[in-house]
Amino acid sequence: MRTPTVLAVAALALAGLTACSSTESGSGGTTEATAAGDGKIAVAATDTECKVAKSELAAGTSTFSITNNGSKVTEFYVYAAGDRIMGEVENIVPGLTRDVVMELPAGMYETACKPGMTGKGIRGPLKVSGESKPLTSDAKLAEAVASYKRYIKSQSDTLLGKTKEFTEAVKAGEVDKAKELYPVARTYWERIEPVAEVFGDLDPAIDARENDVADGEEWTGFHRLEKDLWVKKDVKGDGPIADKLMTDVTTIVEKSAALELSPVQLANGAKGLLDEVATGKITGEEDRYSHTDLWDFDANLQGSKAAVQALRPVLEERDPDLVKTLDAKFADAEGTLGAHRSGDGWKLHTELSKDDLRALSDAINALAEPISKVASVVAR
Amino acid sequence: MFASYLIGLREGLEATLVVSILVAFLVKSDRRERLPLVWAGVGVAVALSVGFGALLTFTAAHLGQQQQELFDAVTSLAATVFVTFMVFWMRTAARKMSGELRQKMGEALELGATAVVVVAFLSVAREGLETALLWFAAVQGATSSASPLIGITLGLLTAVALGWGLYRSALRINLTKFFTWTGLLLILVAAGIFKYGVHDLQESGLVPGLNTYAFDISGVLDPSAWYSTLLSGMFNITPQPSVLEAAAWVVYLVPVLILFLRRPSAKAPASPAPKSAQPAS
Repeated sequence: MRTPTVLAVAALALAGLTACSSTESGSGGTTEATAAGDGKIAVAATDTECKVAKSELAAGTSTFSITNNGSKVTEFYVYAAGDRIMGEVENIVPGLTRDVVMELPAGMYETACKPGMTGKGIRGPLKVSGESKPLTSDAKLAEAVASYKRYIKSQSDTLLGKTKEFTEAVKAGEVDKAKELYPVARTYWERIEPVAEVFGDLDPAIDARENDVADGEEWTGFHRLEKDLWVKKDVKGDGPIADKLMTDVTTIVEKSAALELSPVQLANGAKGLLDEVATGKITGEEDRYSHTDLWDFDANLQGSKAAVQALRPVLEERDPDLVKTLDAKFADAEGTLGAHRSGDGWKLHTELSKDDLRALSDAINALAEPISKVASVVAR
Repeated sequence: MFASYLIGLREGLEATLVVSILVAFLVKSDRRERLPLVWAGVGVAVALSVGFGALLTFTAAHLGQQQQELFDAVTSLAATVFVTFMVFWMRTAARKMSGELRQKMGEALELGATAVVVVAFLSVAREGLETALLWFAAVQGATSSASPLIGITLGLLTAVALGWGLYRSALRINLTKFFTWTGLLLILVAAGIFKYGVHDLQESGLVPGLNTYAFDISGVLDPSAWYSTLLSGMFNITPQPSVLEAAAWVVYLVPVLILFLRRPSAKAPASPAPKSAQPAS
């Protein structure tokens, strides 16, 4: 008796069909509202008219709500060029209102009511413009980018504030205060570094080490001030350097706000930050005078995590196992680093033993491996 | 009101025609124990249609244009296969029905159990979702005007009544007539369902040529008239078919009719029963 199987298969087929067609929650505003008239495009159809409330729409998902005020049964269509049906609803009997949901990319369309269900129908133009946000994983990717940009924005605002405090302390000659603020301001800088690196010439102006500077060029930025604060212990002549740092950081923040990022850039940024940790922070190369490398280390790790978290909905959908691995490895790396907290901040690089550094290095490498897979999953 | 009534009738007929013939056949061939299976198939289809109709009406879920058309197309094509199968299965069974072979009929009908359920299910599920959506829309609009709801409901009830009438009259005629007529009727229905499936494939955009009409007699055959409704409800005869759907209708109908009429059914069982060309199920 195969009967139950057959029914089960049929039921499953129907269920699957509906399941994959549901609007995904969290994909940015479903157009179907429970409240009547909310966001729906009213279409008033009679035997001789077809009044569509809007002739211009934003691309994406739209709901048409067709009311038949005529005496004949009508149908409603939206046609693309060549009468390709983008969406239709049939059997709208007199007095009835029926809804139809359709996804329309930008372009020119025609709406049509067909009173009496015959002929070409009463046509009208429909212009759809703007960015299309189809209810697919693309929307999740777009949302990931948007979410990461919000993170960058919030970090940038604080970066501006802290950099201002830092540079003003430098200009006022308050060495101790400036020393305190230095790693704090850098924390925000290091978190958004993947974005900053997009702007080729600004990044070195802000973050170059002494050995990175070509002969005949002036060394500017954080590390120049760092050397003066910790080695020279004197920042009297550094006013212009401080002002330039402030200007450069402001420019970067402004440019970041307008930057169009791709999801793959997010993924690569997350990986890039970890490489930074491995090459610059664990070695103590970055903050060679102040030894505040762990502040940067922590900031890089958080920046990397923020990018991965922004991509999380997409990764969950495409590779749930990778998400689990990433969560575990991030937790390990944070735990390993967390052992070196000191008050509000971190131990200095010089206070760490070889074994401590090896453990940190191992944790970062273990995390770098799954993170390097993120880009390919995103690019799928 | 009358328009709503006709639509309800049409949607209802698409389902009840096949089901009522199926039930009549089972009753006539003493296979009443199979009846619960028919109702199971119908019940599941109705429940699914109503369930999904409610889901799509009252939640944010919606079927894309292509998905809805594809659902209709796939169920229609499957229904074609099964209804065709049913026709020839009935024919085989009819031959074995002459007295002394009656006990051996179980063998011939063994494939029947699954087929019975599937035919019943597909016949109803095919247009069930659209009907459910329409009905819910009428329910929602009932606050301002109840006539669509009343019309559609009455139409559906009439279809069921017509189905029942068909069943009663089918019971009254003799076996030979029953098989010839219901067989022919079912083949016409299946051809219509097949044509409908092709049309939906075209509407979904998977198959081109939706707007290349084979002919257009919508001037003569007004689609909103009652007789057009009956024609499209029973046989899917529409005034404006595309070339491809018309071709599909002919391509199905001609060979199947020839196969079916090659030997008048219910002849003396002396004639060896050939394995008729049954679509694999």
